[in-house]
Amino acid sequence: MDQAQYNYSEFVASPNEFLEFAEHAPKATMRAPSFPLEDLATGETVEMKDLWKTGIAVIEFGSFT
Amino acid sequence: MERLAGQFANRAVRSVFIYTREAHPGEHYRHHRSMDDKRRNARAFVEHSKVRRQVLLDDLEGTAHRAYGLLPNMTWIVGRGGLIQYKSAWTSAADVADALEGALDFQANRAKNQWALFYSERSAWSTRDQDRFHEGLVRAGPQAVADYERMLKASGASRNAPSPDIGPRVPGNFYKTEEESGKK
Repeated sequence: MDQAQYNYSEFVASPNEFLEFAEHAPKATMRAPSFPLEDLATGETVEMKDLWKTGIAVIEFGSFT
Repeated sequence: MERLAGQFANRAVRSVFIYTREAHPGEHYRHHRSMDDKRRNARAFVEHSKVRRQVLLDDLEGTAHRAYGLLPNMTWIVGRGGLIQYKSAWTSAADVADALEGALDFQANRAKNQWALFYSERSAWSTRDQDRFHEGLVRAGPQAVADYERMLKASGASRNAPSPDIGPRVPGNFYKTEEESGKK
């Protein structure tokens, strides 16, 4: 999936995306993958693994639309 | 989720929002062609929804979003050290709060009680506020409304409630009747 496919311009439901999530996304009891993210407020890079370094992290994914 | 973040903040729980692609792009909030597009929409979201949690932007390719399963509004709870303790296809503040209490209990008492961790699955539920959802589509623009209505029309039959016990069929509810499963 390239950048243009990921950022689709028109919403089209993907019939299998929830099953894919259930079957192939990481599962509870696994180690959470970590990626660099950009802090919207500061522009600084935040490594996801730093979110759970000292405590529990609640991570919600989403967008305005 | 904002209220929940405040309730648990003094218990060493860090709550963040990872901004992904636009789920329902429209004329007012289009799909991202650059990180500046993404930042602009994220700032509009923060202002409109009065988000106080730390907002983190995934890259333009959706690297983190794809690795975590690509759904539009999922929530994960990760314990200290990186153990995934909760994975949910949709976000329900009540369900997250319930799971958080369990995660905090495990973290505080695992060693003392010699608890051993194991994998488990369960279903969860939330109210579907269709009016509020539709307001969001309108805010995104006419195209977002039209795209969603086209999807509903195409999948209308399959979204009917399979039975009164199961309720409305929403994405992430995999229940099939015996007839649908081909057993009759």
